[in-house]
Amino acid sequence: MADQPLKKVPGSTGYTSMLGGSAVTSALTAEVELRGAAAAEDLVVAEVAEPSEVGFWRLAVIRFLHHRAATVSLVILLFIVGSAIVLPVFQGELYRIQNYRNPYTQPFVFHARVIALPVGLSVTVPWSDHLLGTDDLGRDELARLVRGARVSLTVGLLAMLGYIIIGGILGALAGYYGGWIDNALMRLTDVIIAMPFILVVVAVTAAFGGVSLTVLVLVIAFLGWFEIGRLMRAQFLVLRESEFVQAARALGASDYRIIFRHIIPNSLAPIIVSATLGVSGIILLEAALGFLGYSIPPPEPSWGNLLGQYEEALQLGKTYLVAFPAIALVTTALCINLVGDGIRDALDPRQR
Amino acid sequence: MTFYVIRRIFIGLLLLVFMSVAFFALTRVTPGPPFSTGENPRAHQELIDRRLHNLGLDKPWWQQYPAYLNALAHGNLGDSYVYNQPVSKLLMERVPNSILLLGVSLIFSLLIAIPLGILAATRQYSKVDTATSVASYVGISIPSFVLGIFLLLAGAVWLRHATGGTFYFPLFGMHKSNNTGLDDLAWHMVLPVISLSILSIAGFSRFMRASMLEVLHQDYVRTAKAKGLPGRTVNYKHALRNAILPIITLVALQTPQIVSGAVITEGIFSWPGMGLLAFQATVTRDYPVILGVVMLVAALTVLFNLLADIAYAVVDPRIRY
Repeated sequence: MADQPLKKVPGSTGYTSMLGGSAVTSALTAEVELRGAAAAEDLVVAEVAEPSEVGFWRLAVIRFLHHRAATVSLVILLFIVGSAIVLPVFQGELYRIQNYRNPYTQPFVFHARVIALPVGLSVTVPWSDHLLGTDDLGRDELARLVRGARVSLTVGLLAMLGYIIIGGILGALAGYYGGWIDNALMRLTDVIIAMPFILVVVAVTAAFGGVSLTVLVLVIAFLGWFEIGRLMRAQFLVLRESEFVQAARALGASDYRIIFRHIIPNSLAPIIVSATLGVSGIILLEAALGFLGYSIPPPEPSWGNLLGQYEEALQLGKTYLVAFPAIALVTTALCINLVGDGIRDALDPRQR
Repeated sequence: MTFYVIRRIFIGLLLLVFMSVAFFALTRVTPGPPFSTGENPRAHQELIDRRLHNLGLDKPWWQQYPAYLNALAHGNLGDSYVYNQPVSKLLMERVPNSILLLGVSLIFSLLIAIPLGILAATRQYSKVDTATSVASYVGISIPSFVLGIFLLLAGAVWLRHATGGTFYFPLFGMHKSNNTGLDDLAWHMVLPVISLSILSIAGFSRFMRASMLEVLHQDYVRTAKAKGLPGRTVNYKHALRNAILPIITLVALQTPQIVSGAVITEGIFSWPGMGLLAFQATVTRDYPVILGVVMLVAALTVLFNLLADIAYAVVDPRIRY
């Protein structure tokens, strides 16, 4: 991909990030500086001032980092993913350990705790047994939240992988070869898109006789790939007729070579953007299913089924039991969306 | 054109048959037959079996299907197992409720989103634009059930406490008992409409902004500005007309969804619409109702897609089929 033409670099008009216009000028100057610096290096080495190529992906990273909201979101997201991976290792079975003596412990309640240090000293620190409180069965809410993050993120990423595989292949075939497969795909997607998606997923998962992570991922992947498929098809329709593909064909390149060496590398940008945004869509979908009681069954927590117990929690005035999963869910979705926006700006600046 | 329309209608009918087979099979292979999830745990198994037998549900689905297709072709959607009423009657009761709720929320969100999108586009990179962008990102990241729960909490519980019980929004339903006045109905609609609208306002305003920006960068707009026309005329007379077309298409294609209802919002606010009906039918394995909803939505989608394509051809003479 390093041989992406530099014309992808925007001119002075049209390239701007959606959030924060000031990023534009700084990103541009950074690019110019970078190219200048690279050119200077070339001067020393080769003593020829050829216009040097800074790789497409490197430029993309620079542009992304200049999108402030996206960068901050990426950091938050990495923190969330990191805690979802690391914390459960330490917490072990904490998420399912019940304690009937202290249900509904309030969150953020600290007490002094003396910690003995090895040299015979001891320090007193503020300590909370259950930082985010406990639920109706006295289970630690933080542990449940973190464990739920695992479910949400796993489903989001794996189902998106499924979208890309199914949608990518079928969309590419439809766009490249056209004909009946194209027609069938388009008419079918028209209808599936209008279906109440949640209901269809509920019905299909029920047909598998019970929900597990695998079933959930497979069902979502098989029912939701249409958007990626349509996007892939549109890309193929346009690129199939483009001049560089015609040139390749004129040189006698095979279909295989044209698709994999010429069209796919050039169609990646919008797919990556759509895939990123799609992950947040899937996470929200999984939460909606959990909310309705059709995601991973309890005692395994997911953000959706934590939220699904809202009636009881609200009747007892335990708002925090609803607030924490809601905050986790919305923050994750928002960060993914902003990162997606940043990637869009970075990969294809001509799109706003 | 005539041939194209006939061909499309034919393809549409084929698609509907395909959908009916798929969903018929799907409902039948789902574990847990009807009447197994009922409220009566002491129902005699013999009775349940006899009922299943009378309905022909003990046969494999491919033997049941021809009868269903035959009835469907005669416009008969069958009877609900749970409500003991014709499905068509149930649909007739529920569809207006969903259209009311989702229609009002669609109009409401368009009325807010379109001006917002135009404002953001004409003042690109201004504070208004940035604020709109941020708000729309937050908007699309909040799922309807989170919004619904917190609206319920704020509008019906906190507000009630804060005002000492004098001013609050109702928790659920369409009407207070025995009150069918329009004001009461509107009062019950406030919270669900807001919770449905936020998401679509965020989506539509972003779409409108993008569409408007695209038009604003076109040559004819620059020409109009160069001629010295006032910015207002250029923006609202020249640019807006073209920028609003994609929105109209989007809305037209979303119309079938108004009929299919909103599963989660209707659930939270106990709004007796199609979404709630379909969800309950899925839970109780009320096969004819599930299929009725699916077939209605599928038929409407096929119809509206066809209408949209024909409308394109009528509006834009360059398009020929």
